[in-house]
Amino acid sequence: MRISNELKVGLTIITATVIFILGVRYFEDLPLFATTYDLSAEFDNAGGLIPGNTVRVNGVNVGSVNEVYISTETGKVEVKFHVDRNISVTEGAYAKVSGIDALGAVRLDLYLGPLDAPRIPEGGRVAVGDGNDIFGDITARAPEMLERVSSVLDGLDTVLLETGTMLSQPESDFRSTLRSVNGSVTELQSLLAAERNRISAILQNVEEATGSLKTLTSENGPAVSKLVEDLSVTIATLDRELVGLGQASRSLNVLLDKINNGEGTLGLLVNDPSMYHKMDSTLDGINMLVLDFKTNPGKYLGEMKLVDLF
Amino acid sequence: MVLNPIQSMGRYSQLLFKAFGAVPEFGTYRKKLWEQMMRIGVDSMPIVMLAAAFSGAVTTVQTSYQLVSPLIPKSIIGSIVVPSMILELGAVVTGFILAGRVGARIAAELGTMRVTEQIDALEAMGLNSIGYLIVPRVIAGIVMFPVLYVAACFVGIGGGMMVGHLGGFVPIGEFVDGAREFFQPFDPIFGLIKSLVFGFTITSVSCFKGYYTAGGAEGVGRATTQAAVASCVFLLLADLILAATLL
Repeated sequence: MRISNELKVGLTIITATVIFILGVRYFEDLPLFATTYDLSAEFDNAGGLIPGNTVRVNGVNVGSVNEVYISTETGKVEVKFHVDRNISVTEGAYAKVSGIDALGAVRLDLYLGPLDAPRIPEGGRVAVGDGNDIFGDITARAPEMLERVSSVLDGLDTVLLETGTMLSQPESDFRSTLRSVNGSVTELQSLLAAERNRISAILQNVEEATGSLKTLTSENGPAVSKLVEDLSVTIATLDRELVGLGQASRSLNVLLDKINNGEGTLGLLVNDPSMYHKMDSTLDGINMLVLDFKTNPGKYLGEMKLVDLF
Repeated sequence: MVLNPIQSMGRYSQLLFKAFGAVPEFGTYRKKLWEQMMRIGVDSMPIVMLAAAFSGAVTTVQTSYQLVSPLIPKSIIGSIVVPSMILELGAVVTGFILAGRVGARIAAELGTMRVTEQIDALEAMGLNSIGYLIVPRVIAGIVMFPVLYVAACFVGIGGGMMVGHLGGFVPIGEFVDGAREFFQPFDPIFGLIKSLVFGFTITSVSCFKGYYTAGGAEGVGRATTQAAVASCVFLLLADLILAATLL
């Protein structure tokens, strides 16, 4: 089939129109085949925001700025922007301009409101967050900071001046201190020079000692490792024992608790004083008996057949 | 000598005036329009796309070569290549190629018709030669240049993106991010206006040079050369004027 010129030209023009529209929408960061969710915000200061800057939620690009202009009614900066339809911008959301103007990386940060709040309607207004990001903060507080820096520098200046005068006076403490430090250092130097041989000998000894240690460990490597292994086994055993000990002490605890509460024989023994009293009276009786026995043994011995034998 | 350019200017305006006058009877010559749109627009598509693809690719490579500071993000390549393609290269590269391809052909065609007295024959037959020969060419230029511009931008940006990606200069995602960061919706509209003006300039200047050819075969050659050169010069002039007035 021969395609007529009209058809070819028409197809070319239509294709170009479609590409143009889709291309512009693509670079405007608009969805290719869907409408957008347009919002606006009113700022006191746009901080260098321009159309095309990205809109971010939690650091994710979700749209871009459409328009930035000074409102003739309020005199404030009106910023119109659009975001992805899937982003739920609810009441309570607010927008902030952040980034560094000098690097051209300004963006609109959107902080979403609570999820259950009603959604801001199409073309609605988003609140503006107060405060700035760190760079804005620095910029805003720069005059105050500069004042402080200058006062600090003034103080430093005075200190340096005083130090200078102190150092320039020959009789100042500072100078005498420096002199004595100087003397000490000289002495130390001479000492070091005198004892150089000994110091080098000491160092050599240390070196030899570490060398021997090294050879020892490298030569007896297997033995050392065996030792370490055994040690670890021992420690493991000890660990187990300790666990047993723990259990034993727990049981003992229970036992002691019972005794304390007066349960069982031992408990009664410990806690019930009546036995003691009985034993005491019994012992008293025995005592008296023994005394009596001593005073007149005949009273008892006469009745004992065994004693009769003598 | 001094009066020559002014005189030419006057004749050019006169020709345009006559052409506009002939627009009402344009319906008669509509078939001619499709033919010219085909030749000026559709047939020029491959060479325009080729040139645009290369200019986009070269812009990307050279921009990334010039960006050596680690402080500047790579996405800046996208924000430089796309606007330069849309604002300048897409329209001007297309314009230069068509000044050579279309301008020379129009001038040669009309010049030959003039020196072989075909135009006189048309007039003798009662046809409006300006309406028959010039109006379809100029309208085809005005309609098809924006179409070619769109194709050039599409292929040029695509070429830049691909070379940036394949050559390891900038990943496609970053390229697009950078392009979006500084994209102005007016830029492509401005490019369209530019290409429309270029289309009109090139076709009308070439028609003028061809229509008033004199001096046989040599004259045709001269008219062809002049058409190509004058088209380029007026194209640059129009470029500057548009940039100064509209941006």
